[in-house]
Amino acid sequence: MRCDKCRHEIGPEQKRCPNCGAVNKFALQHKKNMRKFKEKYASTENEVKEYGRSVEGLGKRAAILAALLVGSIVLIIAAAIVDADPDEEAAVKRDSEKNAAAYAEEADGYLERGEYVEYVSFLYAHELMNFPPEEFDRFRSVHYVAGYYYECIKRMEIMILRSDDPEYYDGLDTDIRNFCMYVDTFYETFEAQKNSEKNEKYLGYIMDMEAELRAAMRTYLSISEEEMQEFIDSSRGLKAVRVWEVLRHE
Amino acid sequence: MNKAVKVILNILIVIASIGFFFSVILLISVIGGKNKEKEDPAETFAGVMDYEIRHRAYGEVMEDYYVRRLSHMDAPAGYEDLYRIGEYGHTAFMIRVYEEKGDTEKASALRQKTEELRGELGSYEFTADEMDEMIRNAP
Repeated sequence: MRCDKCRHEIGPEQKRCPNCGAVNKFALQHKKNMRKFKEKYASTENEVKEYGRSVEGLGKRAAILAALLVGSIVLIIAAAIVDADPDEEAAVKRDSEKNAAAYAEEADGYLERGEYVEYVSFLYAHELMNFPPEEFDRFRSVHYVAGYYYECIKRMEIMILRSDDPEYYDGLDTDIRNFCMYVDTFYETFEAQKNSEKNEKYLGYIMDMEAELRAAMRTYLSISEEEMQEFIDSSRGLKAVRVWEVLRHE
Repeated sequence: MNKAVKVILNILIVIASIGFFFSVILLISVIGGKNKEKEDPAETFAGVMDYEIRHRAYGEVMEDYYVRRLSHMDAPAGYEDLYRIGEYGHTAFMIRVYEEKGDTEKASALRQKTEELRGELGSYEFTADEMDEMIRNAP
């Protein structure tokens, strides 16, 4: 900047021109401005410091809270994972769907050997009895009949091998009631399926199961072949009375 | 304003701390429960089966065998004796059925199988004799 009077070069801090001695007006104004600036600076600095003091610790608190929440969630998830039991049934179903063709072949083997009880046990053990995949469509008729054949044979074994200890309660009446119910259901299913099954091989299995059930009833319930149809056609109550009399030697 | 936020955060921290404490307790109890020696169901079952056998309640043994086989074709650990006795009972039962049916081939195959099963019964061999007697004398 230059002196207003002599145009001599002059600094902003110099109060007078070093050449002509004229007063430097700008220097006075500059001094005033600097004072105001310093005051404003000090005030702003105070405000900033005051604000800093007021928010001091907020971030720390928020961080602690976030850490506690994340920690709790992690612990709860960990506890749930540790506590979870593997779903065995779902695993069996997945396995059966994956190996349906092989299992269908294995099931055929049981039928060919005439192991009908084994056949049903096999299907149940692989969750194929209640949820058969499409590879098992061909067994549909056998499936129904075999299920009730299995129940009849099982009930007869339970009744025949019941405890002969008079002190032991063996629930014979319940077993008889269940057996009679399954005989009825077997014959209802058998009649329906033997007429609908077109495959000779599977029809043979159905007929064979019926023949075995008749043989079992002749052997263990003393029902002669002449009495058999009458027994099958009789009511569930009459069947139960007959079975009860035989098993109790009355 | 900021003071109020601080107070709210302090309250939330206390609540979260309590939650964290309970989460730790939960995890410890779950791990403790998993590691705790659980009662072996096979061992409990063996006691039940022995009681049934003492009373010659082979019907109940057969029912246990059939129920177990709904989920396992082969004997799970601890249930081997049940499977052997159950299989023997079923095989012995079916021999008379096949004989009555006139299927001598199957009957003789099963007779041979019962002999093999009898050999595997070990200390439970007497159960084969008792079941044979019940089957023979039925009805």
